[in-house]
Amino acid sequence: MRLLQRFARVSTLLMAFPCLALAGLGSWWTAGGLSGGGLWPPDTVTLSEAVASRNNAEALRLIAHGADPNRAARVRDGLLTNGYDVIVTPVEAAVGAQRADSLRMLLANGAVVDDQELLVLRCFERTRRDSGVREILDARSSAEPECAGVRLPVDRAR
Amino acid sequence: MVQAPARSSASLLALVVAALITIPIADGLFRIPIQVSDSLEAIVIATRYHSTRQLLQDSVTFSPTTFRPMRYLQARWLLQVVDATGFTYNGVFRTVHVALMTLLVLLFLIAVRVRDWIDFVAFSVAFPVLIGIQTFVAMLMEAFPVNHYAEVGVCALAVFVLARHPPRWFVPVIACALLAFALSVIESGAMVWVTVICCAAAGMRGMSRSTIVAATVVFGAYLLLRHSLGISTPGIGGHGSGFGDHFYSPEELAQRFGAQPLGFMIYNVAGGLASLLFAEPRQGVYSLLAAWHAREIHPVVVINIVSSLATTALLVWYAATRLTTNRSTWSDADRMFVAACAVMAINATLNAAYMKDEIMGVGGLFYAIATFVAVRALIESIPRQTVPASLLIPLLVTAGSALWTFRTVGMHYQLRYDAFKTRNDWIDVLRPDKREDWPRDPEELAITQRIRTEAIDRRVASPSFLPRWADRYWVE
Repeated sequence: MRLLQRFARVSTLLMAFPCLALAGLGSWWTAGGLSGGGLWPPDTVTLSEAVASRNNAEALRLIAHGADPNRAARVRDGLLTNGYDVIVTPVEAAVGAQRADSLRMLLANGAVVDDQELLVLRCFERTRRDSGVREILDARSSAEPECAGVRLPVDRAR
Repeated sequence: MVQAPARSSASLLALVVAALITIPIADGLFRIPIQVSDSLEAIVIATRYHSTRQLLQDSVTFSPTTFRPMRYLQARWLLQVVDATGFTYNGVFRTVHVALMTLLVLLFLIAVRVRDWIDFVAFSVAFPVLIGIQTFVAMLMEAFPVNHYAEVGVCALAVFVLARHPPRWFVPVIACALLAFALSVIESGAMVWVTVICCAAAGMRGMSRSTIVAATVVFGAYLLLRHSLGISTPGIGGHGSGFGDHFYSPEELAQRFGAQPLGFMIYNVAGGLASLLFAEPRQGVYSLLAAWHAREIHPVVVINIVSSLATTALLVWYAATRLTTNRSTWSDADRMFVAACAVMAINATLNAAYMKDEIMGVGGLFYAIATFVAVRALIESIPRQTVPASLLIPLLVTAGSALWTFRTVGMHYQLRYDAFKTRNDWIDVLRPDKREDWPRDPEELAITQRIRTEAIDRRVASPSFLPRWADRYWVE
């Protein structure tokens, strides 16, 4: 009985454990933050990845720092595809992520879409439908695209 | 209970623990750029004026339903700090947000006064409640250029700290200054007057009759000033809010409840208090009801409700076992508890027109104070309990505290998410394809461009790279 009572007294200190554990985590995150890591630090992404992860601000920052809005780059597994990485241009990433706002932003900031790319994008949109994206693309060519034989951006890595 | 030979080591440890938990939160808060909504407009308005006096004069007529001159004056002063120091706009404005949060934490520490190890254990349970409650994160994510709800929270807690000390000649002066400041920032500043009255009603020794009278005169003068300026109180339909399991737009609310608003107002006031005590409803919406209809409940709802229910049960236990009808027999802790509960209850009335977590921000701070008092009493009662009870109580409190700690960790996720969203909001400002929407005034354009560039340059984590399960556990 006395042992139980003693245990009960000590177990009161247990109540402080979650908060102390959080303080420990806090010091870990702070130390990590000071060395450039920490809890959920900003991600290092390519321009295409920024667009694919719906991070237009990061995409714009990268363009402002010299990234080419027409250059294809790697997009890691899980953003546009499942099970494999893919190399796509930023506008392809915008169409794949179904982001009309990203597409508009890229076009306003130097992205160029030629006829060949436009066909690819319009066919890509047919597999990942988004009315906003379609409106932007159809404004450049209203005829129904002929998608037979067109290789979609997400199939290039397969 | 293990007794502490040295009280200073317990209070020092409490300070260290609070700092270790607060610093990463401060980092997350600092990463959020200046918001577009509610912030940019106030900053731009502040730049248009070349004299503080003229800005003060005009600011009282900016809105027919609000009296917030300090919003613009503070923005102007911070702009002057930027000009004088060369620091970034985001750096200066966000530093003030962080400073306010730090002040809230420090005032909480001073209010609960950790002196021995029992205090420390009670503090370690109450502190995650302070930080993890939904009203705290809502208060921190407020979009005003300077965080008005946090300012009101600081003023209310400062009054509470004054009330814990013996009455001094300067208490009425400071209390009135805090009240006047809070009222000139946002309407919720009335909570400072409420705190004065509640502390006095509970018999806290620092609140003398002269403080009550002086604060009431200031509050009365504020109401008279509003009336003379023709400023009315926002009614139903001024802001969106929930009812049942659905969130309604301002127009829908006006259509549905505008003719007979009393029932909706009672719903809001009761809901405001319930949101503190049971974590439901949020913005007027009962997630449990929505989950019932959708036949899917997210873990975050369960975690929030269970942790809040457990803590509220503890407060009920304290009230039932400690508070007698004879006020003269109350201890200092009892008076703290009663004052805190009264502030929470009255805070709920500010939700009459619409519900928002931020409105209950002050109530959330006092919920944590009441928790501290109740946990401390529970720990003290353990030696008098039966052996099974004395074993069970720490385990149950630890489980509840673990849930609150989990909620606190979720704050980091919510701050990252908010930083991402806020940064991306700037993309729609000064769009190259919509130059016709750009400000015509060169000064206004220059400051908007600079803040936008700073905001976009602040790199933040994207939710796409955060844990995928986090939404279900931390975002309601």
